[in-house]
Amino acid sequence: MLRVIWGCAVKDIRSALTERSTLVQSVTLPVNYLIMMSLFVLAGSHAPTAVVMYDHGPYARQFVTAMRQAHSFRLEVTTAAAARQQLRAGTLVAVVTIPAGFDRAVARHRPMAVPVEINNLNQDLTDDAHRAMRLVVTQFYAHADPGLVSIVASEGDAYAHDTGYIPFLAMSIIVIALMVSGLLQAGNAASRDWENATIKELLLAPARPWQILAGRMLGALLVALPAAVVVLGVVVFVVGDHPARLALTGGASVLTLAVFVAAGTALGTALKDRSALAILTRALPVPLFFLSGVFGPIGFQTGVVQGIAATLPIHYAIVLEQLGFKEFVTGTLAPAADALILAGYLLTFICLSGIALRLSRPAAARA
Amino acid sequence: MTTLEMPPVRHAEPGLPPPATGPAAIELHDLTRTFGRRGKQITAVGGLSLTVGSGQVFGLLGPNGSGKTTTINMISGLIPPTSGTVTILGMPVEARRTRRAVRQLVGTVPQETALYNELTARANMAFHADLYRVPRQQKAERIAALLQLVSLADRAESRVGTFSGGMRRRLAIARALLHDPEVIILDEPTLGVDVHARAAIWGYIRDLRDRGKTILLTTNQLEEAQELCDEVAIIDHGQLAASGTPATLRRSYGATIVSLHVQPIAAPRTLDYALEELRQLGGVTNVSIEPAADASHRLAVTTQEHAEIADIIAVTDHWCVIADVAVRDTSLDEVFLRLTGRGLRD
Repeated sequence: MLRVIWGCAVKDIRSALTERSTLVQSVTLPVNYLIMMSLFVLAGSHAPTAVVMYDHGPYARQFVTAMRQAHSFRLEVTTAAAARQQLRAGTLVAVVTIPAGFDRAVARHRPMAVPVEINNLNQDLTDDAHRAMRLVVTQFYAHADPGLVSIVASEGDAYAHDTGYIPFLAMSIIVIALMVSGLLQAGNAASRDWENATIKELLLAPARPWQILAGRMLGALLVALPAAVVVLGVVVFVVGDHPARLALTGGASVLTLAVFVAAGTALGTALKDRSALAILTRALPVPLFFLSGVFGPIGFQTGVVQGIAATLPIHYAIVLEQLGFKEFVTGTLAPAADALILAGYLLTFICLSGIALRLSRPAAARA
Repeated sequence: MTTLEMPPVRHAEPGLPPPATGPAAIELHDLTRTFGRRGKQITAVGGLSLTVGSGQVFGLLGPNGSGKTTTINMISGLIPPTSGTVTILGMPVEARRTRRAVRQLVGTVPQETALYNELTARANMAFHADLYRVPRQQKAERIAALLQLVSLADRAESRVGTFSGGMRRRLAIARALLHDPEVIILDEPTLGVDVHARAAIWGYIRDLRDRGKTILLTTNQLEEAQELCDEVAIIDHGQLAASGTPATLRRSYGATIVSLHVQPIAAPRTLDYALEELRQLGGVTNVSIEPAADASHRLAVTTQEHAEIADIIAVTDHWCVIADVAVRDTSLDEVFLRLTGRGLRD
């Protein structure tokens, strides 16, 4: 029994090692997602903004400092003409003008309008500029005249340290890596047998279908694992995230990989075509990525998104990775329940693979 | 020619039943297979019944699309029949309790060989050995012996994707023999191979028969069937058109063809008289006529016995001037043409 399973696994591993492009894709696709999302995050947090100063007094300089501390602008102090030209050229999101007499007006507590000219082609950046300017005004008065701002927020953090956007996102990238490499390797192994008509060798053998499927899944798991480890290495050594609970992280990663290996086997057996599988494995991760609590705890999302996320295995995998790596609680269920749901998906995909193989016997005759 | 000298596989698994003894290796009873949904069904094989004796080389003949491959797919257990039964060495192929045991007794070489192109010849063999549970201690020895047999020992570590069609076919045969099956199914074993590879494959098949193996092969080459098969079944449109030994089939449809190139004495009536008298001769099963150059004609008279040749010549000579006479055996191709109205490669 074990000999047939191991034989199938070894055969699939040997075949997979001859397809280097698939091995490379298992690593490059998730790393590309990490790079892409990082660029998006970096671009969003530094809106290019020009400051035109007609007053260089201490209050005016303090106002510019408050803008710098808002973490929303990439500031450049320039002349009015240069700022207007850049705004027209589309290289600036906003131009903030500190008018002459700014310091005198502040010192005398007189109202003072600070003109903000916004390139409102992008709603998101426009909203960022609006919010950031209100924050700047509050921050400015809190420092310039503490007596004027009597209400301050007394913050208590759930976690000892704030979490950067990219380190939070990195956990989802690990799950994407597990998903892509699992689907690609297992799906390719299953489809390859149909495309090359070698499925006949398997179906004519005196082996039970579950032995063939178990061998296939074991082979794909062993091939996909190194790719997932490479992505894990990028997260640990490049992003700088280290797993807090190694056993939980490892267990969750292997369980997640097994789920997507089983899903890939079912898909590959049903599709019987590597090109169709390649399209799916590229198209699937992006929407699943955005719908599975990738940017923050799922409880922060709308009810619709929460409902969709609850139907996707990737969501439970992200929750377990966040818990294993950073001890973050980002799901709405107990961790054991998340793990059980993932195990349920694994069983479901294994059953679907068996059904797909059984229903495919007539197709094997035409292969 | 290399002969088969391989140690038999001693299966370690005690649960595997021993091969049944008896005259029938393969029995098909009222075998039918349809494809497609209700209302748009196509019957690939309809009500086919056959018996293949143990130790025989049995040929399934038919043109492309006649149902040969569907039939062997059902025999090998790749697809279940829509109705009817297949038994191999007395065991039903589709029964749950015997399915695996039957597969252990059968070695199949599909038309497209089903080899892993990306793997080496040895890796293909090793995988088959694992699937069919060839005892570990015999695995390396049998792989080496079979690669030697099919003259691929020096290419054992080459990827199959680099092999020619003939090499692939030879390797597929070696792989099918690895678990020492009792019944070997070969789907178009010499399709697309060169003359040398074909001669080698025919040699393996003869050697396997000499070792008492039962071989079922499909072919649309009459020459192959005549050379190799103890019995043949001609199928057309998924149904049995005729079966028997090649010699019996030829005899039933006329063993000998007498070809005569003639010039009528007094055209054209005398030729009609000649045809009428020839058709009335005992043993003559068919007379055909074709016009030739200079108002001459070619007659082809099919007859059961050589003894009637003299009568045929005498009758023809009475009404016509005979330019030349040729006598030859009927080919299976002609039998097939008469049975189905079309050639084998149509």
